[in-house]
Amino acid sequence: MTFDYHEPRSLAEALDLLGRHGDDAHLLAGGTATVILMRQGLLRPGHVVALRAVAELGGVSRTADGGLRIGAMATHRQVERSADALAYSPALVDAFASVATVRIRNQATVGGNLAHADPAQDPPPMLAALGATVTVRSPRGERTLPVDGLAVDHFTTSLAHDEVITEVLLPPIEPGTREAYLKFLPRTADDYATVSVAATMRLADDGTIAHARIVLGAVGPTPIRARRVEDAIRGQPTRRIGDAIAMIADDVDPVDDLRGSAVYKREMARVWTGRALAQLTR
Amino acid sequence: MKFTHAATVAAPRDKVWARLMDIPAAARCVPGVASVRPSGTDKYQGTLAVQVGPVRLVLDGDLVVTARDPSSGTASIRADAKDSRVGGAIRAAMDLALSEKEGQTELRIATDLAVMGRLGEFGQAVIKRKADQLMQDFAECLARQVIAR
Repeated sequence: MTFDYHEPRSLAEALDLLGRHGDDAHLLAGGTATVILMRQGLLRPGHVVALRAVAELGGVSRTADGGLRIGAMATHRQVERSADALAYSPALVDAFASVATVRIRNQATVGGNLAHADPAQDPPPMLAALGATVTVRSPRGERTLPVDGLAVDHFTTSLAHDEVITEVLLPPIEPGTREAYLKFLPRTADDYATVSVAATMRLADDGTIAHARIVLGAVGPTPIRARRVEDAIRGQPTRRIGDAIAMIADDVDPVDDLRGSAVYKREMARVWTGRALAQLTR
Repeated sequence: MKFTHAATVAAPRDKVWARLMDIPAAARCVPGVASVRPSGTDKYQGTLAVQVGPVRLVLDGDLVVTARDPSSGTASIRADAKDSRVGGAIRAAMDLALSEKEGQTELRIATDLAVMGRLGEFGQAVIKRKADQLMQDFAECLARQVIAR
């Protein structure tokens, strides 16, 4: 397999290369997914556009409004070790620290992870549960879209071929909100999840649930937002959670594989959602 | 990998059967099918393009109708196709069954799919989902075609 390797120094230059080579060009961020697909022969681009030298895509920092900005080329490890990310949300750091191994986390990038749209990845459910958005640039300009809904199918996003994720923006977290990321790993510590649950919740002064957002990973073609459960428990006392989470079984769409049968994963989705919410209401 | 798909067509069974057994026309209902040409008695040659995320596959192969029984409304089809660029192949055995009830026809397709070579790297989840999409779109398109005629 032969291909031309490009290493643009700016985003404008990268967009120009994408425009010039069209479908024959493939973006390379950390390469942990793309290089495997290329080595397997499944992906055969004529032009590889590497983003590693585009400095404007890096960095992890707090925003003026109390949120967090993660540059698309920031590695998982940089988020995991960022004091700003930890101060923003320990659960976000947990999600990034849950990915595979340190070697992979040193290489894999936040933007690459979202663009790859692997439904079993750890960061997307947590980012979605926190209400994150991505900023996307193309020759047509810039647009912002929620992480929740960015993936539309297995390894498929709603992004056009010439769009590049430049950053992930997380909004400020309302005081009193708690967050959790739980990953069920019945096999090995560096495996993909059998099911993962990202959740955020805030209780009102009277103890009822004022806000809840629940997103599951590894149990469908994309991360799955448990909207019906969220709607059922909003405004309710926390003791209603147990009944509501039974609806999870109908929302998820898992398949049989080495990490469990579909039936088992459905049940584990309920159990682990219950555990995540219990942790947030304790 | 085995799966079953079903669709209901608001037309009598013999009409659905006629459409289904016009293989080149019916095959056009599968999204990504570029061409299907007869290559012998009950034999056809065709191409199916499938996109999974960044990966584009072009499956080139043969389709053989191994059994057909208009009286019971059942047929069996075998498909063998490979992608020579990526390096991988699929083999599918499909059992089709039509049953009529109150003027409506139910089409059931039971598929046994084997995926070989590099295509297997996708994993079962992705392959099953893609097959589900293709078969569901096929069944719905066929239903629309029969009603339109």
